[in-house]
Amino acid sequence: MKEKPWKPWLLLSPSLTAVFLLLIVPVCFVVVYSFWLRAPSGMDIPAFQFGNYAKFFADSFYPVILLNTIRVALETVFICLIMGYIPAYFFYRTESRLKPFLMILVMLPFWISFIIRTLSWINILGDSGLINHLLLKYGMITTPLPMLYNEGAVIMGLIQYLLPFMILNIYVSLDGIDKSLTEAAQSLGCTEWQAFREVTLPLSLPGVSAGCLLVFVLTCGTYLPPMILGGPNNEMIANLIFKRVIGTLDWPFGSAISVILLLLLVIIVYTYNRYMGINQIFKSLSKG
Amino acid sequence: MKKLISGWTLIKLYTILVYVWMFAPIVAVVILAFNPQQFGTFPMEGFSFKWFVKLSQNSTILDAFKNSLVLGSLTAVFATAIGVPAALAFIRYEFKGKEFLNTMLIAPIMIPEVILGVALLLFIRWLQQPKSFALLLIGHVVLTLPYVLLIVQARLVGIKREYEEAALSLGASPFQTFREITFPLLAPAIFAGMLFAFTISFDDVTATLFWATAQNQTVPVQIFSMLRTSISPEINALGAVMILLTVSIPLAAGYVARRFARGNTP
Amino acid sequence: MGKQLKKRLDDVYQNYLEGNITRRDFVKFAGIAGAALGLAGGPFGLMGNAFASKSITCHSWGGTTSEALRKFAFDPFTKATGIEVIDAAFTGMDAFLTQVKASYPPGGEFNIAHLSAVYDYARYTDLGFGVVLDESKIPNLKNVMTKMTDTLRGITNGTLSTVPYDLGQTGIAYNTNHISKEKAEKLGASLLYDKSLKGKLGSWGGDFRTNMWYAALHTGQSPNNITDVDAVWDALTEQRSMMKKYWASGSELMSLLANGEISATVAWSGRVAALQDQGHPIGYLAPDGTYSWMEYMYVLKGTDLEVAQQLLNFMLEPEASIAVAQGQKYPPALDPTKVEMPEDVKKLPAFDPTGKLNGYLFADPAYWNKHQLEWAEKWDRIMAGA
Repeated sequence: MKEKPWKPWLLLSPSLTAVFLLLIVPVCFVVVYSFWLRAPSGMDIPAFQFGNYAKFFADSFYPVILLNTIRVALETVFICLIMGYIPAYFFYRTESRLKPFLMILVMLPFWISFIIRTLSWINILGDSGLINHLLLKYGMITTPLPMLYNEGAVIMGLIQYLLPFMILNIYVSLDGIDKSLTEAAQSLGCTEWQAFREVTLPLSLPGVSAGCLLVFVLTCGTYLPPMILGGPNNEMIANLIFKRVIGTLDWPFGSAISVILLLLLVIIVYTYNRYMGINQIFKSLSKG
Repeated sequence: MKKLISGWTLIKLYTILVYVWMFAPIVAVVILAFNPQQFGTFPMEGFSFKWFVKLSQNSTILDAFKNSLVLGSLTAVFATAIGVPAALAFIRYEFKGKEFLNTMLIAPIMIPEVILGVALLLFIRWLQQPKSFALLLIGHVVLTLPYVLLIVQARLVGIKREYEEAALSLGASPFQTFREITFPLLAPAIFAGMLFAFTISFDDVTATLFWATAQNQTVPVQIFSMLRTSISPEINALGAVMILLTVSIPLAAGYVARRFARGNTP
Repeated sequence: MGKQLKKRLDDVYQNYLEGNITRRDFVKFAGIAGAALGLAGGPFGLMGNAFASKSITCHSWGGTTSEALRKFAFDPFTKATGIEVIDAAFTGMDAFLTQVKASYPPGGEFNIAHLSAVYDYARYTDLGFGVVLDESKIPNLKNVMTKMTDTLRGITNGTLSTVPYDLGQTGIAYNTNHISKEKAEKLGASLLYDKSLKGKLGSWGGDFRTNMWYAALHTGQSPNNITDVDAVWDALTEQRSMMKKYWASGSELMSLLANGEISATVAWSGRVAALQDQGHPIGYLAPDGTYSWMEYMYVLKGTDLEVAQQLLNFMLEPEASIAVAQGQKYPPALDPTKVEMPEDVKKLPAFDPTGKLNGYLFADPAYWNKHQLEWAEKWDRIMAGA
């Protein structure tokens, strides 16, 4: 296949065209905008100055929100991984007739709007929600436990949204593993656990890393869970962008925050790719 | 042997717990769809189908639902149609700038949708084009493309190239090879990719908010606008109906398939 | 051809208004005229075609508001003129301005919008989205409270780019199970700063104006002319420590109050009325200097003014206005001394039987818009605890 160097480009051209026109070019507009000025009337004035960036780093307010966002994103990734790997492994190993049905169930939460799902946690965690209602009824507590409007609730909402991504990504790569490999390992005297650790786990890493990356990046870009389930301390960077772009119509500053977030994500994805990334694993696998 | 079973039981138990947790808010939504009170909490005071009746008469929500379905299905088809070839190119070929391009195609999920929404609007204003359904559709395809790519690539890596090479050396054309060998092996991932693309598109709020014209509003955008006054439990009812459909159709299909299978082998 | 027929329709409508023909006759005639128009304009002249397939977009608040508008204004309008009304729901005031700002052709996609607050009238106008309406084509405008039209005229040099549509307040809602009426009335705006409500307070996080307004009242200042801004920021910082939730939407406001998560908060009068209607134990307090605002139907640049003016007139019909008011629980902009109001409208919070609106304090657009960028950011910082 090497004799036709144009072939991959042919295969790639539709996606590249779409992404170039609808993503790369528009993002260039954002970069340009981030150097503009905003007049008090709401008009944007073309300019080339770094005032918007200077404003971001002028004091600790904005950088702290950015750091908080990264911390919350890492926590979410970690919990999603712990909660997601075992169900994915279950799907891989199970012989149950219900397997396809159980798989579709994973996607089921998406059928109820994200906003509604997030709001629904209020019915469960709120002062008059299900958990407090039951605890009060059986006399285990006397005043409702405050479970809403803190970082825990935000992470809860985020995981509820992102866990299916993690499970399915891990499952898809587990499913590609030949089960005879583990059998072979076991026939060579490995215990089940050893076979898992030496064979299955390493082979499932592409899915794990894809899932982690996805969850991390999506967490950095969502604003609804912090808005609905968070308290005043749980501001995240996407909320800030939403407020600047939509609330005060300050597109130049909103653009600057976006560019900073974007740069950060690009660096993370790049490092990820370089040291433990998707492509690295793809390569070693396709060689081996 | 005994130890093995207990390990497996633990895995099962864990999976069940994750499911319970994942479905808690969904169950709450479905239950509250039957609550006559608008701001129902627990314990429920009564049981009624009133929101379902109201929903069946609400043409705004039903139209939005139709829009969402059409948009989601088209997005799924187009995103896989352009995503699968791209995944093949990345896994099966060596070429310059591969890593960079791969990252670029996954980029749409890295950009917060607020930005993407406004950026695209700026661009089409500059092009002096009005918004249209086509724009909304292409926008959704770009948004969902990374999911298709990630899933299909992860699966493609696991499919041994030797199979394809064997078919080729036996005289099959590259297209035949794809159809007979690669595609069947890839099918679960393609299906998963489509399902993902559909659901992401179906559930997207922020970008759709900016790209949709007044005529093609989707359900999430409708819900978002309801936030200002109050979200009607009709939305809970719609969710309950959708859950019922998605759960019952595969179950019914499975049941029918088993009945037929039994009928054939008396 | 289209123009002529439209002219005749105008005449018939005029007759209908003057009471010469009944509504039934009017609708019948309108139907025949519409059919004739369709036939005449069919395969021939492009003009007729363009007219017959014409549409106008109206962005409003969705839900009951849209239902009422559709039934009492849009459908009769479409019957009368053959012009389709596309009604779309907002996704929020600020999001809408963002959409308008980014649209092409400018204003082409957006025609009429049901906007809130006078400072937004000034914002849209400053950004160049306004038009000048021919008020003689909107006879129903004469029923609108003059204080409302005058306020808007003041911003656009005596002309109007909009018609006022309804009236609302951001007052204080409190849970009557936890706070007595006497206590609420005694404390007024300071109820929102009452130490005993620690952990049971709410406020609208999305708007610095509302929060500064009540902090100004609490610190004894005039909201439209805050002399000691630092006192306002200090009050808000102190209040933050007692806050359970800065809510972001009316829906959230209602569920927080209905579920008893919070006992007191600033609140939109219409939302409180809706809660009271459903029997929740929520009281409404409008202290001196309560934050009042108006909603209006803004016509955006690029709209066919003839059509827009006609539609606005339909929307200002008492029947339509009252139905919308009953749906969204905000009293209409019509002067109650000129138009008879049903009992349930008279009971709505913010309703003024005199039609003069004396004692209603609106936000001064020039004052608030001037400080918007600076104060919005400062407010964000206070909310985030920085």
